[in-house]
Amino acid sequence: MLTYILRRLALMVLVLWGVTLGAFLISHALPSDPAAAAMGNNAREEQLADFRERNGLNKPLATQYVIYMGQLLRGDMGTSLRTQSGIVSDLRAFFPATLELTLVAVVFALLIGLPLGVIAALWQGRPPDLLARTFALLGGATPVYWLAILALTLFHERLGWLPGPGRLDVYSLPPPTHTGLVLIDSLLAHDTAVFWDGLRHLILPALVLGAYSAALLTRMTRSALLEVLSQDYIRTARSKGLTPSRVLGKHAVRNAALPVLTVLGSLFGSLLTGAVLTETIFSWPGIGGYATTSAISLDFPAVMGVTLIAGLAYSVVNLLVDLAYGFFDPRISFS
Amino acid sequence: MSQQAVSARKRQMFSWGLALALSAGLSLASAQRESTLVIGGDFSDLITLDPGASYEFSGSLVAGNLYDTLVIYEGNDLKTLKPRLASSWTVTPTASGSRITFKLRDAKFSTGRTVTAADVIYSLTRVIALKTPSSFLLTDVANITAKSLSAPDAKTVVMDIPKTANPNIVLALLTFNVAGVIDSTEAKAHEKAGDFGTAWLKDHSAGSGPFMLNRWDRSAQVALDVNPNAFRKSPNIKRVILRYMAESAAQQSSLNSGEIDVAWNYTPDAFKAAQSNPKLRALKAETFSLSYLGMNSAKGSPFEDARVREAVRYAIDQDGMIDSLLQGLGRKTQTIVPIGLAGSDPKIYYPYNIARAKELLKAAGKANGFSVDFLVSTGSCSGGVPCQDLAAKVQSDLAKIGIKANIKQMVNSELYTTYRAQKATLIQADWSPDYPDADGNGTPLSDYAAKSLAWRNSWNNAAAGKLAQTAAIESNAAKRLAQYGQLTALLAKDGPFAILYQPYKPIVTQTGIQGFNRNANGDVQFEKISKK
Repeated sequence: MLTYILRRLALMVLVLWGVTLGAFLISHALPSDPAAAAMGNNAREEQLADFRERNGLNKPLATQYVIYMGQLLRGDMGTSLRTQSGIVSDLRAFFPATLELTLVAVVFALLIGLPLGVIAALWQGRPPDLLARTFALLGGATPVYWLAILALTLFHERLGWLPGPGRLDVYSLPPPTHTGLVLIDSLLAHDTAVFWDGLRHLILPALVLGAYSAALLTRMTRSALLEVLSQDYIRTARSKGLTPSRVLGKHAVRNAALPVLTVLGSLFGSLLTGAVLTETIFSWPGIGGYATTSAISLDFPAVMGVTLIAGLAYSVVNLLVDLAYGFFDPRISFS
Repeated sequence: MSQQAVSARKRQMFSWGLALALSAGLSLASAQRESTLVIGGDFSDLITLDPGASYEFSGSLVAGNLYDTLVIYEGNDLKTLKPRLASSWTVTPTASGSRITFKLRDAKFSTGRTVTAADVIYSLTRVIALKTPSSFLLTDVANITAKSLSAPDAKTVVMDIPKTANPNIVLALLTFNVAGVIDSTEAKAHEKAGDFGTAWLKDHSAGSGPFMLNRWDRSAQVALDVNPNAFRKSPNIKRVILRYMAESAAQQSSLNSGEIDVAWNYTPDAFKAAQSNPKLRALKAETFSLSYLGMNSAKGSPFEDARVREAVRYAIDQDGMIDSLLQGLGRKTQTIVPIGLAGSDPKIYYPYNIARAKELLKAAGKANGFSVDFLVSTGSCSGGVPCQDLAAKVQSDLAKIGIKANIKQMVNSELYTTYRAQKATLIQADWSPDYPDADGNGTPLSDYAAKSLAWRNSWNNAAAGKLAQTAAIESNAAKRLAQYGQLTALLAKDGPFAILYQPYKPIVTQTGIQGFNRNANGDVQFEKISKK
């Protein structure tokens, strides 16, 4: 198993190198001038020339890439053309907010999607199944943008049940930063007021972000479970006199878990990098907004940094999912 | 007293104590809310809070409240200079140009140190040395160097400017945050590798303004606390929070729920709804921006002939654009100097007239019209209207005279790269002057040699260039006005622009917010605001 993990980690390094090369070439192929983007419409030609010189944009593309890779190997992702801050410090500021939102969204999606999928499969063709399938259809078809505005208007503005945009209340002082995750940092600071405030602020955006995933998990769980329930070994288990809950818990769910796990892995990756709409509506200071602004303003080092982090997140999640296969299905070996 | 009575008494005391503590806590929270101003808006352009480096609207908004400049324009009067750190100043002619002598008032930084002439000189010279995005205002417009500045004593600053610069323009640009005065001792203490403290000043403050920075949580909020040492006292507001809210929908929701006091970026539709809401106050803040069409006049371009450019100006339905699309969030103007600046011309040269436009096209040999690529931003245009909606209106107006404008949407970076390379035949864009003076538009829009908008549209008119250069350095106000009158008339007749509108900035506040004013420069004096 250790050999397998080491081999995968080595492969991950190769994948990430490919990601840097691809992102570098694509971002430099655009017919735009990053100096003009960073300095604005009013900037004079001399200012643009000075900017290009200072940021090494005049150098040949290959030289720029070698310099970038040299910095990267030393743990330096370069400096943002737009904010003139280190990319590492930018990512440290924005990534934890997205990670926290995504983790809670995935928890919500699991809490909603898995039970609904199981219920739908067990009561196939009956009202609970119909309700679950309606949820899956609506959750999958409703645009995140619309759902976010609806949730904000209804639960914050009209009913006042949940707080509005942002990670914390305007009057809450953020806890000292250790992990960047408000829930963890507030607990480390023994600040329960901020913890609850942070948790309340997470509910709406996480529900909105997790809605599509919950719908997808409902459908996947339902179909995977239905397929397993029609297998001979389930019939055998039933005929042996096992209780329905034991049949479901010991034989059906475990075997239906593999396709659900695959979907969950790719969902986590896509949520992590695709939360931009939710982040925008809920004024969430995450990586989505940072990536969008950086891409629009041709901030190549920032785009590279975000791409690398996204690639890393996908690779790690994929590895974890592959390892989890072994847990659910002992026939899978990691030789 | 029985044991039970003692217990009951203890419980009662505890309940009173708890109630007292809770009410004290609530009244403290209430007092905190009453003295805190919360502004929700799109502040994503905020990059640095260093006054010498910040060149974005949000940066200027914050820096203007953290730092003082020598002189300032107060409120909406952007024609009369007022003292700020300088209690007085004199302009005297010299052999090489002119000399401005400033006398400093008694003032202290938030650090407790006294503001001195050395601080002023350090603040200006560091901008020149750092070559910040706004440094060209000092080097290229004011034409000053480090050698131009001297301090005969701790309360006097002398600035020598050459003949190539107009002292009135120099004074006007000294109101901008690029000339904000920082505590040099504090900045030097945080210098790293000769950066004049700019890395530290990015998210710290060391000014004498009415507020000082508490903290800036990037993409979340900026919190400013009142500066106890400031001479501009803020009697009511003790804390200002700029809350990042990019979306108008989020701002509406938060304003309606009372979470924020001011919404900074409403869309025209949302603004119209707010105007009829008795719980809100809708303000149309003036701006110096101009939304315009740029027509490339290069040889071979369909806009080479001045009559075609005139035809476009006749064909644009400005009233329809302002009333329907912008919901009134724009003003009709047709010349290159925006309304509100000395030198602007309110005359309507081109009343909407399709027949006249067609005549002009016919006279130019294009009776059947022509087809042209129309470059448009993918984002939001000034006045809060989506650029694609504005482009569709222009496209429909031009179609009426036979011009087929093929809309090509681009992100701003690509759009302006194309424009800068003189490759945009027809473009929809915005322009704001760098400083509140007619020259902020006069030179870039008229002088081909300035390599700005006139150059980007391949419009090379020697008379216009000469007029712009002369007016820029003219110190006689009456003569200067006459020169800008000539220049604006020339541009209106022959220039490569069709002005679409001068936008208002829509701002919505709770009715309890008093004294909120955003001037055309984008400045808001937080210390003048109160909250009920």
